[in-house]
Formats: sequence, C-alpha cells, structure tokens
Amino acid sequence: MKNRKNWLAVSALLVGSTLLNTAQAGQANNSLVIGTSQEPPNINDPWRTNNLVIATEITWFMEAHLIGKDDNGDLYPEIATRVPSLANGDYKIVKDAKGNVIRNSVTFSIRKDAKWSDGTAITPKDFQFWLKVEQDDRVPVPTREPWDKAKITVQDADTFTITFDPPYLFADQITSAVGLNPAPSAAMEKAWSAFDAATKNLDSKTGAKQITDEWNKFIAQFTTSRGLPKVVSGPFKPTSWRAGNSLVLTRNPNYWITPKGGADKYLQTVQYRFIADTNTLKVNMLSGQLDALSYVGLTFDQAIEAQRSERGKYKTYFVPGATWEHVDIANAGARAQSLGLTDKRVRQALLYSIDRDALVKALFQGKQPVSNTWVSPIGKLYKKDAKDYNFDAAKAKALFAAAGWKPGPDGILAKDGKKMSLNFATTAGNKLRERVQQILQAQWKAVGVDVNIQNFPSTVVFSNDFAPRSAEGKWDLFMYAWSNDPSVERGDLWASQFVPSKDNAYAGQNYPNFKDADYDKLWNDAKTEFDLSARVKLFDKMQAIWTDEVPSLPLYFRANPYTKVPGLVNYTYTAYSLYPSWNAAQMGWASRGAAETYPQK
Amino acid sequence: MFNYALRRILQMIPLLLVISLVIFTLTALQPGDPVDQLVLGNSQITPEDIARLRAAYGLDQPISLRYWFWLTHALQGDFGWSRTFSAPAAAYVFEERLPNTLLLTLPALVLSTLIAVPLGIFSAVRQYSILDYVLTFFSFVSFSAPIFWIGAMALWLFAIYVPQLTGGLISLPPGGLGSPDLAPDAGFWAVVADKLRYLILPLSILMLREIAVILRFLRASMLEVLNQDFVRTARAKGLSNRNVLYRHALRNAVLPIVTLLGLSIPGLFGGAVLTETVFSWPGMGRVIVEALTSKDFNVVMVALTFISVLTVVFQLLTDLAYAAVDPRIRYN
Repeated sequence: MKNRKNWLAVSALLVGSTLLNTAQAGQANNSLVIGTSQEPPNINDPWRTNNLVIATEITWFMEAHLIGKDDNGDLYPEIATRVPSLANGDYKIVKDAKGNVIRNSVTFSIRKDAKWSDGTAITPKDFQFWLKVEQDDRVPVPTREPWDKAKITVQDADTFTITFDPPYLFADQITSAVGLNPAPSAAMEKAWSAFDAATKNLDSKTGAKQITDEWNKFIAQFTTSRGLPKVVSGPFKPTSWRAGNSLVLTRNPNYWITPKGGADKYLQTVQYRFIADTNTLKVNMLSGQLDALSYVGLTFDQAIEAQRSERGKYKTYFVPGATWEHVDIANAGARAQSLGLTDKRVRQALLYSIDRDALVKALFQGKQPVSNTWVSPIGKLYKKDAKDYNFDAAKAKALFAAAGWKPGPDGILAKDGKKMSLNFATTAGNKLRERVQQILQAQWKAVGVDVNIQNFPSTVVFSNDFAPRSAEGKWDLFMYAWSNDPSVERGDLWASQFVPSKDNAYAGQNYPNFKDADYDKLWNDAKTEFDLSARVKLFDKMQAIWTDEVPSLPLYFRANPYTKVPGLVNYTYTAYSLYPSWNAAQMGWASRGAAETYPQK
Repeated sequence: MFNYALRRILQMIPLLLVISLVIFTLTALQPGDPVDQLVLGNSQITPEDIARLRAAYGLDQPISLRYWFWLTHALQGDFGWSRTFSAPAAAYVFEERLPNTLLLTLPALVLSTLIAVPLGIFSAVRQYSILDYVLTFFSFVSFSAPIFWIGAMALWLFAIYVPQLTGGLISLPPGGLGSPDLAPDAGFWAVVADKLRYLILPLSILMLREIAVILRFLRASMLEVLNQDFVRTARAKGLSNRNVLYRHALRNAVLPIVTLLGLSIPGLFGGAVLTETVFSWPGMGRVIVEALTSKDFNVVMVALTFISVLTVVFQLLTDLAYAAVDPRIRYN
C-alpha cells in the first residue's frame, strides 16, 4: 500500500512538473535565447571550410577580429589597436613607374590586452598560423583568393605586416568576411603536426580524399559538438552543444573590450535553439520561448504574418539587405538565339513588360525595394540614376515588334514561325518566388510572351548540371538571388571571364553568358583602381552598359526579417555588419543596465 | 527450422549488397553534389578550385569506384565522414540520432499496441455498438489527418493557447529534445520530468496513427475469424466466451498483427520524419532527409543500409514468429 502511494506521489509529481511551465526565455538571468532554422556542421572554424551563414553568425559570438564593420559600414578595431589607413600609414600602396599599383600592405598592432579565453596573449603567430594553413594545398578551403599570394612579416612581438603581391583591392578593410581570422596556434599546433605527419607523404591527387578525411579529423577536434572549441577570442565561449537541439555560450571573462557600465550588465549566456521547421520556429517565438530570431529564421511571408500578431510581445524587423533577387536571361546559345534572347531589344522589352513596383507593393508591402542594377543601393558604387525600366506595355510591344516579334493568331509573339515560348525556372518550394513567378508569367502573357514554369529543388537548379548551362538551353529565364557585401563589390558577376563553360568545368557565375568587351575593359580597370572616387566612376559606366544590355532582369533587394522582444538592446545588423553577432559583447537587456549604442536601423 | 533460418540468412548477403548498390547509385545520380554548394555564392572560385574540391571529396571518381571504396571501407567498419554533421557518419547516426528516435518510436509502438489490441478486440466483438462507431470514427480521423497538420495544431494549442488561458501556468514546450538550460546537476526526476515535457506531444501524435492502424487491422481480422466455422463449433461445444475469444479466435486473428508489428520494427529505427520535423526532434528521420538534401552520401548510406538490414532481419524473424503463434505453420 505504501509502495503504491509512493508511486502515485511520484507520478503526480511527474505529471505536474511536466505540464507546469518551467523554462522561459528572458532577461531574468541575463541570458538570451535565439531561435534558428539551421544548425551548422561546425563553428569557430577559422578557415571557414563550410560557407554557411549560420556557422559564421554563431562563430562571431566566439571570434574576435583584427577589425570589424559596424551597422553604418564603418570599420572599428577589435584585436588591432587601430584601423589601417593611408592617413595613419598602416596601409601602404606601392606603384610602378607608370603609376600602376603593384602591391599593397597593411600593418596591424595587436592590443596588449587581447587574450585568448585561456588567458594567453593573442600574437602575430596566431595570424601566421592561420595564413600557413590557409595556403596549404591539403586544406579544402573553397578558394584561397586573396590569400594565396599574401605574406606576413612580423615586426615585433605585437606588430605584423601583411603584403599582397599582386595587390588586393580591399586590403584596407580585412574583416572576417575576407579572412585572416585568429587561429589559436598554441592550442592547435600539436593536432596540426599530427595532420601534417599523416598526410605529408600522400599524393595530392590520388590521396586527396584521405587528406580531406585527416583534415576533417583535425578540425573536428576544435569546432564540433563532439569537440567544442578549446580556446576562443570573442566575447563568448561555448559550454555545451546538444546536436540537433541547442548550443549554449557563456561570457568569456578574458575578452578585453568592456561595454559601457561593465560586462556584468550585459548578456552572460546565449543559447541557440535549432528548430528546422520554420512553422515550429514561429510557434516557439509566439509562445515566448525565444527572445530573438537569428539571421537564418523565418521566411518573409511568415515574418509578415508574425508582424500581425505582435501584440507588444516582440517586434518584427525587416532589415534592408544586399541580397539581389533577379531573373537571369539566357544570353547565348542556339536556343536563346532562336527565341530572340540574344537581341537586347527583346531583353529590354521583357523588363518593360513587368510591373515590379506593383509586385513589391502587393507581395512585400513595399519592404523590399525594386532594383535597377545588381549593385546594392546601400553601397557607394551604386549608380543612383541607373535607367529605371518602369512598366510600359506599349513600349515593350514596340520593342518586340522592332525585333521582328509580332503577335500570332493566338496572341503569342512569333517570328519566322517560331513562337516566343520561354522556360522559366526557379527553386521549387520557395513560395515567395513561386508567387512572383506566377505574377510575372501573367504579365508577360499580356504582351504575348508564353512562359512555361519549370521549377526544380534548389539542389538541382544550383547544381553543375543546371544553373551554369543556359547556353545549352537548360533554361531561358532563371530566378534566384545573389548575396554580396556591398563594400567589396567587384562586378565579377558580369565579366566574360566568369562565363561558365565545358572548358572551365562550368566554373564562374556569369550564368546568363553575358559578354561585353566594354564592360570587361571597365571591370579590369576597376579591379586595380585603388581610388574609391575613380572606381565609382568606372562602376557608373559599368552599370550604364548593364542596364542598357539587360542581361538579367533586376527585381528587388531582399529585406531579411527577424524578431526580438522589447528591452533587448544592441541585437542589430545591417547589410554592412551582416549578422547580429557582430556586436555580441554589447548585447544585453535594458532592464539589467545594458546601454543601447546601436538601435536597429 | 534451423536450416530454413540459415538459408534465409545466406540469401540476405547478396540481397543487402544489391540494396546498398541501388541506394548508393541513386544517391550519387541525384543532380548536384557537395561542391556545388561550396561554389554557390563564391564568385572567386576557379576551375582549379572546383577540381581540387571534387578530388578532396572523392567526387572525381566514377560511381562504380566510389561504391567499391565505400563497400570495402564499410566492411571494415569505416563508414566515412559526415560533411553535414562534422563527425564520423556511423557514430553520428548511431550515437546522436538513433537513441532519440528510439526514445520516441519505441514507447509509441509499445503503448499503441497495448491500447489498440484490447480496443480492436472490443470493437470486433461489439460490432456496431456505440463504442465501435466511436473507435471507427477515431481511426479514420487519425488516418486521414496529416501528421504535419495535427502536429502543428497540437503545438499551437499546448504551447500558445492553453498557456494563454492558464496565464502561463500550464504549457508544453513547442518542440525540442529537452531544456537547454536544465542545470547539469539537476536530479534524476527533474531530468525525467523535463524529458517527458518534451516527449508528450510528439509521442501522442505518433501514437494516434499507430493506434488507428493496429486497431483497424485487428478489428478486421477478428471479425473474419469470429465468423468462421471453427469458432461456431467452439461455441456449440459450450466453451466459455472468454475461451473462444482468447484461445481460438485471437490466436488466429493475431497473425496479420504479427506481420504488421514485424514490419513496423525496422520503421522504428528509421524514425518518423514528419513528427520529428514538426516537433524539432533530432532523430533518424530528420537526419536522413537532411543528409539527402545536403548530399551527405556517407550519412545516407549508413542510415539507409542500417534500415535495410533491419527490414530483412525482421522479415525473417516475422516469418519465424508465424510458426510460434500458428501451429499450422512449420518450416522445413
């Protein structure tokens, strides 16, 4: 009987504690709970061997950088004592007799108080180690540019110079987005030596896979849920990571930059919850389990819905970004030729036929602005007076007619017996794109262009067999997005050098196959133009050519949505700072004394 | 019986080889590979970079050679590295994901069977009674309502509306495996209670479907048996109703359920993709989908081959179980 009573008591306790609410996000213990729809394979990998946004966002909580970029796009020193510039002499450009820049260099002095989380000093050796590994052929980094020809010279215990020969256009703004992240050489050296010993005699071709396996074993010791980072340089350090569930970070007492009023007034713990299904993520947010959403969170339409249900519990933000949604047009190949797509008048007519202003108003409440070129309006290189192809069906019809395309008996444009029937692809399952696609299809139909929607999953459309093969007739129109930091824009997308083909194993991302000698010349000049005002002029001409040729139909620049609860300060980002974690050290709750220095723009 | 079992085990070897070859080939033939994903958004990447990365991931070899490489290593216990999860593929699947799946699917099957079997018998014996109608209605609703919809509704109800009604006093967590902020020194019962909080909703949703399936199968099977001559004879002989039901009818009616359960067990290990996704439960179902979408061949191969092995083994065990429950079946 007594036993039964005990069991009943335990059962009641379990049922009670199961149903009663115990865990809530919030400011009570100066912590922050962030929800994200993606879990990174690894974090704090100084060499970024995976290029996932979520990995970088989380890494920035744990990783300090020589210099960073704030919400305004201004550089600020973090590990370095100051930002290198021509004025302070830390940034140097060397020119030849003709005035061409032949190399450039930047010098960094490390702050005396900059320390790893184990209390040891961050030294030039940590950056030398990063560069040594980055340049090692055995390491599977996606690309080594611009580090393949870079060299570090140590000046003294705290100072080093990095030289680029040939010169690197953005050497004066080496943020984490470019590389040169601190790598804890003392903590990693032994494991690196083991990797080196295991692979040094392997052939780089026949033993490539084995080398990669050894690399994976090396890096996994410092970056994964089974091998958490041992030492970190940023304001937080990882304490636990339950695969598929959550990651917990706690404040690093050895981080050297103290926010206003003292670090104890700011976040002490940050918790990431990995919730793959965005509907479930939304429920978590609505139920108060989350304080904020990550950069990788809700879809745009879910965020619009979330905004309607705020009721003061949280606020939804739509951060203007540099992610450019557009429709590429196949500019080359037999099929493009037969459909008139190689004729710029047809491409211009396609752009005149669509009402982008109405589209962004109807679908995005105007939160995502219409774009006229591929350059972000936020960037300094943006051409403000770029030709705007406002919706004009009459002009579109006239251009089609001038190019020889006239309506047939069924209303569809035809030329020499060939109907203008275009295959339009995008990423299947992306509801917003699919909706945009249907609107565009209807608008083109109104001017006599027949559009067949042919969508595939993103893994298919971005595979080597699809996106780079417009010249082979795989698609006529292809809608997707490019993302780029506007301050390091180079115009590579449209250079003929980056046209993918069989000869270059379909490398290069000029998917429309746009080739223009004048553009190429300007692009080449801009690549080595170190004077920003002169580069602005070159980009002005490049964009003028581009808007006249219309190799691609610019649609809009995406805004990235996220939510956060009231009282959480300095959890902000812009197209410059990229992710909220850029300002991890200053995040906190106003009610706990955290001072707001960066309101969300 | 022994010879029969041995023969079936030997037949499994070529069968599993063919299955693994088919899985590998189909996975490898999907458009796109991991390098495409690294290339995407990286305008600086060169043809040399792409060639280097393909070699690094072993993708520069023909499918036949890649399969041979995988097979010879797998036979030595090396299932390769998971690029998506940054861990040895087998260790990640078996240590990180399989236990979570079993924690969800095993209780779901056991509890569903314990609930559905008596209900199925009752439903058949009291055919056309009110309870029979209620159970039939319940089964059809559970069958027809999509799990992702029921799951989402349950989340809204217990994570948002009930907490609002009770001022936050009563609530269930909206998905996940457990509280990340549970103190490391929390006692045993606190851990159990926390786990239960997270388990209640996905377990209930999973059980709804399981109960409906078993109940319908058993009801149909029992009805068929109850109308057969030997049952009538047993009743005519004056056997008690209990005896007729449990010693004669049930033993015959349970055969389809043995088949159903035998085939369900490998499914337990394969996870429940929709339930796991809706409730953010990091199990086998989700890992397979995530690996497939990110072209993580090693994880796909480990998980699917494991499920194939279980399916084949449990088919054999099911066949052997027939002999145990049905005296008419003998294997020679």
